[in-house]
Amino acid sequence: MSLLDNVWVVLAVKLGLAVVILFALALVVMFAELKVSAHMQHRIGPYFAGGRWGWAQVFAEALKFLQKEDLIPRDADAPVFRLAPMVSLLGTFAVIVIIPLSPVLVAGDLDVGIFYALAAGSVSTIALLMAGWSSGNKYSLIGGLRAGAQLIAYELPLVLAVVGVVIQAGTMSMVGITEAQAQPLFHIGSVGISLPYALQGQIIGFVIFMIAALAELVRIPFDMPIAESELVMGYLTEYSGIRFTMFLLGEYAGMLAMSAIASVLFLGGYHFWGLNADWFGPFVLIGKSLILVFVMIWFRWTWPRLREDQLQSLAWRWLVPLALANIAVTATLKVVL
Amino acid sequence: MTTPADRHLLAMHRSEAAVSVELQTEDMVLNIGPQHPSTHGVLRLVATVAGERVRSVQPVMGYMHRGYEKLAEVRTYAQITALVNRIDWVSGFANEIPFIVAAERLMGVEAPERAQCIRLILTEMFRISNHLIFLCSFPAELGAPTPLMYALRERERVLDLIEGVTGGRFHPNFNRIGGVKPAAGGGSTQRTRAQDLPKGFIEGTRRAMTAVRHVCDDLENLVLGNEIVQQRTIGIGVLPADKAVEYAMSGPNLRASGVPFDLRKVEDYLPYDRFDFDVVTMPNGDNYDRCRVRLEEIRQSARIIEQAVDSLPGGPLQAKVPRVIKVPKGECYVRAENPKGEMGYHIVSGGGRRPYRVKIRSASFCNLQVLPWLLEGALIPDVIAILGSLDFVLGDVDR
Amino acid sequence: MSEPEPPAAPAPDPETPSAETPPARAAHWAALVGSAEWADAFRTVKVRVPRERWVEAHRALQPHLPFFAWLSAIDWSNEVAVGDPLEGEPVEERYEVISRLSDVSAGEAVILSTDLPPDDLTIDSLAGVYTAADWHEREAADMFGITFVGHPNPVRIYLSEGFVGHPLRKSYPLLAREVKAWPGAVEVTPLPAAEGSAGEPKEGGA
Repeated sequence: MSLLDNVWVVLAVKLGLAVVILFALALVVMFAELKVSAHMQHRIGPYFAGGRWGWAQVFAEALKFLQKEDLIPRDADAPVFRLAPMVSLLGTFAVIVIIPLSPVLVAGDLDVGIFYALAAGSVSTIALLMAGWSSGNKYSLIGGLRAGAQLIAYELPLVLAVVGVVIQAGTMSMVGITEAQAQPLFHIGSVGISLPYALQGQIIGFVIFMIAALAELVRIPFDMPIAESELVMGYLTEYSGIRFTMFLLGEYAGMLAMSAIASVLFLGGYHFWGLNADWFGPFVLIGKSLILVFVMIWFRWTWPRLREDQLQSLAWRWLVPLALANIAVTATLKVVL
Repeated sequence: MTTPADRHLLAMHRSEAAVSVELQTEDMVLNIGPQHPSTHGVLRLVATVAGERVRSVQPVMGYMHRGYEKLAEVRTYAQITALVNRIDWVSGFANEIPFIVAAERLMGVEAPERAQCIRLILTEMFRISNHLIFLCSFPAELGAPTPLMYALRERERVLDLIEGVTGGRFHPNFNRIGGVKPAAGGGSTQRTRAQDLPKGFIEGTRRAMTAVRHVCDDLENLVLGNEIVQQRTIGIGVLPADKAVEYAMSGPNLRASGVPFDLRKVEDYLPYDRFDFDVVTMPNGDNYDRCRVRLEEIRQSARIIEQAVDSLPGGPLQAKVPRVIKVPKGECYVRAENPKGEMGYHIVSGGGRRPYRVKIRSASFCNLQVLPWLLEGALIPDVIAILGSLDFVLGDVDR
Repeated sequence: MSEPEPPAAPAPDPETPSAETPPARAAHWAALVGSAEWADAFRTVKVRVPRERWVEAHRALQPHLPFFAWLSAIDWSNEVAVGDPLEGEPVEERYEVISRLSDVSAGEAVILSTDLPPDDLTIDSLAGVYTAADWHEREAADMFGITFVGHPNPVRIYLSEGFVGHPLRKSYPLLAREVKAWPGAVEVTPLPAAEGSAGEPKEGGA
């Protein structure tokens, strides 16, 4: 008992759990991407490694990457080059600790939860710029600059989309927002019916958030910073081995983190009608996140990529004004009702 | 005479000029290729870029120059068909046709009707295969990897048919001077006629053409109907008709600019005049139209093939030719509508068993000449898209 | 399943444009460029012009035949390093530059040809008349060592900067062949009997 009173022990346990869960889920997402993309393309996908579904493929791939030589180009800015993948992972891990899996299962319930999440999430922007700049490669440089421009442009709609929810919930705490969505809106008989914010008028905010999240994650249709057919691999061009794996894991973990935030903000978090949040909360939240992850994978394999200027005009001409309008309407309704 | 006002204006201009000089940033030289995922091989583009905007492009080629024109001089006519197969390896069989026809004209022989029809069917199948490759690689260059699988799956059916007839999928080497090769196991087709095409070929062709039409509809909806594809292609890389002719573009690239010119209609290297098909043109000459032309051409090719298998004439596969082929002195140029454009061979025969000189006019080489003009001022993503839309193969560029 | 009986094939249509009285067309093009020398063998119309009128002849044809298909050269030489030599009478040693022009509607086409003496391989560039001649001239310069005067960008196109020699000249050996004999080179000794008789060795690769 005394051991769990020590704040540092608790912190270490929490962090360890978060990392383990995140890594495990990232591998699941990786595997899902392999399989989902295969089925969308009339392929079977991984089949031989492991058992029947080729489940060991992700481990095989991870091992393959670990074996590869860690190359650092001669002209690269080596310290920055080495640091960039870690910074990329760091941002994602920093976000994941505040996501509430159930009313009690939350590593850190901050009063400014969502504000912290968005701020910490932006750290990855720096990582991409660092990677692009330090590689000593023109393609990487262009990729890094594209990433910088893109992430700055999409940070704004992302934040603005969240503001609507914050106004509606009246709190920035992740648990607070989840619980606010569980308040019964109306009653049918004696049963109180609650609705997640996506169904309470924040649907526009939800869509904007997801679009901006895709752009933040640098995934198709917004993968211009990587753009394999144009920039070879953008800021990832010079990375290999374990550092490349870290970027890769960062991407999948980032997809999960963004999906989890979206689930909390717009889809009711760990609550689901008729299920006890204390017991089923983690499963509900992870389930919702995985559905959103599936949508991201789905987009990835069905759409081509936009052009950098088209991406910018989408952000500034459509998403930002829409998000502002959403805030205005939400705020007005909040005051009026 | 300069008034004070003028002088003031002049000074202002000067200071503005100084400012703009200070703000001028250095252009970056970006080497796209020779090792790059989207240059279809080893093309190198030396692009001077200002940010994402391309100021000028200088294509550099020759990394794959294999000297086919020289190699042809040391090979016999029969051996050259195996060589020219490899020029445009995506449509190998279509490369053989103009060469064989040119040699036949010099020798004064003509392939029998049945052989000509089989040549025609196979050429059109390779056209379908080539255009399907285009329709799978072009979206991939725009960042969509999935249409690739859809197009390649149907291409597989066509390749299976080709393999059934010729024994090869990419490089059939199926043409002989005066006819086509008797199919494996077909026995001596000089005498019999019904053993040349494999069993079930005609049924299989009909089925495959239905499948090809189906995938065309799919791709039309999935690729051309996609809003992002449209944003990325409509109005990008516009090549007006006069420029297309000036730069000697040929084939689908020319027709996408609205010039209704198809060698299948004006030349008679194969009996195309028996079949009913349309020359597909598009009005705008942008990436979208270049993509669309090829999609429609697949449908037209399917139409031709269906008519051809329905009316396949009988008869021998091979005209009478000497065992040792010696071509009389003379010069002959035969051009054909290759899937990528005008492909032709100018054969100069010195009277021997090997040609004295073979000039190979390949479509991709000539189609790429427009690149510096077309890419000037484009954005880097559009450079890749335009490059992909021209549908070239480096073997066809470098020869 | 056997192949169906072929229906009666429709008669081949002879009305293709290239079949219409070709000599008349050849003479027409020759008159247009002001040359009396033309040939029309094997349905390949070839009009010969003197070297001085090379650009002028193209300029005269440009409005009618706007499509520049290709340009190349032939090294007419009695001694060859590789391949079969010319049979029959020795020819005058020269380089023949040929260009092919066509239209983009009816299928009209003509080959223009001019001769260069082996000791003076220079000719005016066509780049001012036909934009598309650019790369073809660079190729011919690479392969034959012909200098195109007035070419806008006379740099090598296929060969590397340090490359010595002009590969398509008849005097240029095929080095790979000299190092290692090609297995495909099946030599056929002509029999005294008529061709096509049984027992004759088969053509290599056929």
